Formats: sequence, structure tokens, C-alpha cells
Amino acid sequence: MSDARKTHHPSHDGMPMTCRELFERLSDYVDGELSQELCEEIRKHMDGCDPCVNFAKTLKTTADLCRRLPSEPIPPEVAADLRSFLARHLPKPI
Amino acid sequence: MDEQTLISASKSGDGAALDELVRAHQGRVYGFAMRMCRNVEDAKDILQETFLGMIRSLREFREESKFSTWLYRIAANACLKKRRRGVHDPTPEQELSLDDLMPRPDAEGRKPEIPDWSEDAERALLRGELSERMETAIDKLPKEYKIVLVLRDVEGLSAEETAEAVGLSVAAVKSRLHRARVFVRRELTDYLTGERR
Repeated sequence: MSDARKTHHPSHDGMPMTCRELFERLSDYVDGELSQELCEEIRKHMDGCDPCVNFAKTLKTTADLCRRLPSEPIPPEVAADLRSFLARHLPKPI
Repeated sequence: MDEQTLISASKSGDGAALDELVRAHQGRVYGFAMRMCRNVEDAKDILQETFLGMIRSLREFREESKFSTWLYRIAANACLKKRRRGVHDPTPEQELSLDDLMPRPDAEGRKPEIPDWSEDAERALLRGELSERMETAIDKLPKEYKIVLVLRDVEGLSAEETAEAVGLSVAAVKSRLHRARVFVRRELTDYLTGERR
């Protein structure tokens, strides 16, 4: 994603980022949707904050686990019922 | 035939092309519906309503957006409408507050201990122990958050596509997604670290 579309929210008055401020941005951070400037602030904060490091890791893991959930395949009878349904409700049979 | 050709042919009344278009997407829509409803009968209703809606409004489909995103929009509306028709919903509408979800300092004001259970989760997943837990956690989400999480993280739509599918701004999608992920993360934390407490 180009930097222009990424989120730019500098921390207040150049003060170091707080855990709360980082917490609010973590999904954008793990999705790679923050500006380089903000990512750098986050990395600086994480340098001295194990809780935030672990929270970010487990948040990313949560999103990754969602992506790996198995999908329920469509049973043949459900697909057949769909066809019958559409044939009943549309002017031309498909 | 490529999808664009299938869509054009379907718009012109080509029944075979329409059939192929339905077949190409029925699995995706069914999987999404099952994820949202968790039962076959409701998922069937949503599947049928989605494709009926697709066929009836196909002429209005503008090819600026992806066809699948447009289809997800129809399916998402069907999911949310189904809830409002009074179907039993174990997760009444509620706001997920980041303040409530954020780990708190201890009584002495020290930062909370946050375990990194990522490797434990990977092992549990490989043993086949985690999927059901994930499903249960996602099911506990209020529907407005669940649908965003499912579209973005389970179905793999981008934030922009998800926004289009649910009729929200990208900022609203990101906000709901973050709350949903933090909620599910907390459920997983309880499961994966419960024995250690």
C-alpha cells in the first residue's frame, strides 16, 4: 500500500507512545497499514515493553488463525436445492 | 469463459453462462453463510436469497467493483436481515468497548503480564484442537462485529472490499475489526492459558 493511503497519526507533542495509544493501532500495525513514522514509534515503544510485544504477536496470531479456519464445502444436495429453487423463482430455467 | 464474459453473457440472458456463474460462487457464499449462521437451514436460505438477488439485479452490477465483493454485499444483507426477522440471536446488539477489552495494570499499577501463546496456538491447531474454539469465540461476537471479522479475516476481503460489502466506511470497518480481533484474542487467551492461572 502506498504511504499516502496509510494512517498518519503522530503521537502527541513528540512524547513517546503510550501502551493505550499503541493498543488502539495494533490491528493497523499488524496489517501493515500504518505510516513508516508510526511504525517506528511503535517499534520504539515495543523495545522496552514486553506486554505490548506479546499482545501484538498474539493479535497477529488471532488474525492468522481466522484465515486458516476450514471452510464448510457446499453439500451436493444443497447445491441441487439451490438449482431447483432458482428454477422455480425465475422466468427462465437455468 | 472468463468471469467478465460470463457476466456479460448472463446479463444477455445466456442460461448456461448464468449457471456457470452460480456454480463458480456458490461454494464461497455457502461457506460465508455457514460461518455467519452456524446451521445448514439458515445457510441454505441465505444462499438461495443471495443468488436470487444476484440474478434479479445482475443488470445493475457495475463492473467497477469485483463481482465477488458485490455478491458478498447481497449475502451480508441477507445475513443481517435474517437476524432482524426475529430469528433467535444469542448475541444481542452490543458495543465492544476498547476500554473494556484492554488489559489493565495490576493493583500496584504495574503493566499486566501478557503471555505469548502463539506457539501453543500453532500446536493446538495442528492437533485439531483449536478450530472449534475459534468458531465458538467468533460466534460470541455481536453480529455487526462478527460480519466484519468474517469478511476481512476469514473470507480474506481487503478493508475496502469489506467496507463495500457491509456499507460502512473503511475507518468504521477497521475500528470494528480491531475490536472483534481483540475480543477473539481474549477468548483464545482464556482457553490457551487458563490452566496456568
